[in-house]
Amino acid sequence: MSIFKKIFFIDFIKGLSLTLGYEVSKSVTMRYPDEEKWAPYQRFRGLHTLNRDAQGRELCVACELCAKACPTKCITVVPMEDDKGIGISDRIAKVYEINLVRCMFCGLCEDACPTTAIRMGRDYELACFSLDCAAADKKRLLAPREIPQEFEGGYVVMARLERNKEGINIKPDLTRKKRWW
Amino acid sequence: MEQIFFYIFAIATVASAIAVISLRNPVHSAISLMVCFLQVAALFILLRSPFLAAVQVFIYVGAVVVLFLFAVMVLDLGKERFGEYLHHQRPIALVVVIGFVFVMGFTILHGSLDAQLGNYTEKALVKNTEIMGKLLFTKYVFPFEVVSLLLLIALIGAIVLAMKEKR
Amino acid sequence: MDINTLIEVALIIVKVIFVSLILFTLPIPLTWIERKVAGHIQVRLGPFRVGPHGILQPVADMIKLMFKEDIAPEKADKWLFRFAPLFAMIPAFAVYAAIPFGDKITIPIINKEVTLYISDMNVGILYILAVGGISVYGIILGGWASNSKYALLGGIRSSAQMISYEIALTFSCIGVVMTSNSLSLLDIVKFQSGTILGFIPNWNIIYQPIGFVIFFIAALAEINRIPFDLPEDEGSLAAGYHVEYSAMKFSFFMLTEYVAMVTASVLAVILFFGGWDAPLFMPEIPIFWFVAKVGFFIYLFMWIRFTLPRYRYDQLMSIGWKILLPLSLLNILITGLFLL
Ligand code: SF4
Ligand code: SF4
Repeated sequence: MSIFKKIFFIDFIKGLSLTLGYEVSKSVTMRYPDEEKWAPYQRFRGLHTLNRDAQGRELCVACELCAKACPTKCITVVPMEDDKGIGISDRIAKVYEINLVRCMFCGLCEDACPTTAIRMGRDYELACFSLDCAAADKKRLLAPREIPQEFEGGYVVMARLERNKEGINIKPDLTRKKRWW
Repeated sequence: MEQIFFYIFAIATVASAIAVISLRNPVHSAISLMVCFLQVAALFILLRSPFLAAVQVFIYVGAVVVLFLFAVMVLDLGKERFGEYLHHQRPIALVVVIGFVFVMGFTILHGSLDAQLGNYTEKALVKNTEIMGKLLFTKYVFPFEVVSLLLLIALIGAIVLAMKEKR
Repeated sequence: MDINTLIEVALIIVKVIFVSLILFTLPIPLTWIERKVAGHIQVRLGPFRVGPHGILQPVADMIKLMFKEDIAPEKADKWLFRFAPLFAMIPAFAVYAAIPFGDKITIPIINKEVTLYISDMNVGILYILAVGGISVYGIILGGWASNSKYALLGGIRSSAQMISYEIALTFSCIGVVMTSNSLSLLDIVKFQSGTILGFIPNWNIIYQPIGFVIFFIAALAEINRIPFDLPEDEGSLAAGYHVEYSAMKFSFFMLTEYVAMVTASVLAVILFFGGWDAPLFMPEIPIFWFVAKVGFFIYLFMWIRFTLPRYRYDQLMSIGWKILLPLSLLNILITGLFLL
């Protein structure tokens, strides 16, 4: 039997047919960033977001619990009095800055927050050309995200690569999605 | 036309042959040897013997010199070690060379190196592989067998030497 | 010299230029195909960013190679280091002087018959094997001249491998020569035209199956493809003989490798698969069948490359000397018995 196998190169042919099968099968490559992009699950820990409530008021009450909880001490919160109703109470954050170079995306800040103001978001394209963007300020954290909180995630979505003055932006199209496996 | 080519190849052959023995680096010598063999192959083609030319390239250039290079590379023969193999043979060599040149010159001048013209026409020579094969196995079968025996002995000798080294 | 000879000479020059141009540009699509095959076999996509489906990737690579710095190691043998890529490349191209791509075609407008080969040598196959064998000097000398451990090991491996497999390769060709009764490639192809029993093509593979297997394995070793690519074994020798080469010199080695692969495919087609003979009642189209068959073999080489692992060096040697060589001798014996 083994002689027969050797003479007719059975193992060799088996191997070749296996690779041929893979060759014609669909490839698992995600064509990021040109055409596709990975939209992560909701549990993903990417760039933080500061949230607002249903009326559009800032949820953060500048209690600094997140800054205390942060193991790398990378959150700076400076509170201020406010009675114009920007926040849900009369105390809001004047400065809210996260040093993204030090942050290790552990998510302890979001656990510590009593008002669910800070949440880990789903942006992961944080590379940039200068140090300016290494610190995320309040404005950036408050801005709405390309992948909204409600979006389920765990899909590969179609995306478009955009080049502009600030650099490269990959714009996802959340309506066209597919499971990648 | 053909004569011009002959002189080109002949000069290249002699020049590379001289390079083989005069270059200091064994690898360079081996390459010159290869060039020399290639020129000899070219001369064979001028002599209407493409088969011999192909075989010359095949055996000598493709195998023998490669083996030389292999041995040179594996043993890493330095330049220094070459001196000790000469053993003061220079005067003897000189005498032999002078004698050889004398004999060669004598025979060439007396014209006794003239060979008979072959009894094959140019047209028949297109099939020279066939002719050569037939001659080898009929008229020259005895020398052919002797040479094969010689090669076999050399082969066995090499194996015996290699075996001894192992022990 | 009359006008007809002049035309003949001009025709040969044109053919030579044409063939070498094709050979020079052939690696461009071939590298792309190879990377695509590699990609898809590994369930990836392969190059995709330069041009549609990455088709311009080899061009980009070529431009990059041209502008790279040409480095020669300080302790290298400068002259040999410079000429080794040429030593490899010239024989690989010279082989094509004897390879027929088809019989003859008539060019429509000027009504001139053109043979689709540069020359029909009566020792064609010997010439190809002999000249193809010279290519190994580029590898050996390149490895030695680099004056680096890995390159030298690559060169040494290459020389031993070459000698061991050239014997088996030649002996497997002898079987074909015996059945076709000629050393000329044109005659060998002509011998294979027609059919047996009306439908099986009269190709040498029918008469010489063992010969073909030996030829194929030995050819794999001769052109340094996986599973026998020990001279440039990435795993243990970094890149083997061309580890010190960069820029255009490196690309010459790559070019040689691809041309050698094409040569091996062409030889396999001519010797065992009937050359330009059309299979199974298909219409005869000049060159088309030849290119199709060669393409299949090139694909096969790539396919094998991404399927099989690499042999160890002692395995390589024992396959060559203890299996292929006796088998090829046996094949000659069997062929001889059949011919009697
Ligand atoms: S994720 Fe962790 S490290 Fe980053 S800011 Fe929050 S607590 Fe600090
Ligand atoms: S984000 Fe939450 S924990 Fe941090 S300061 Fe605001 S309310 Fe307090």
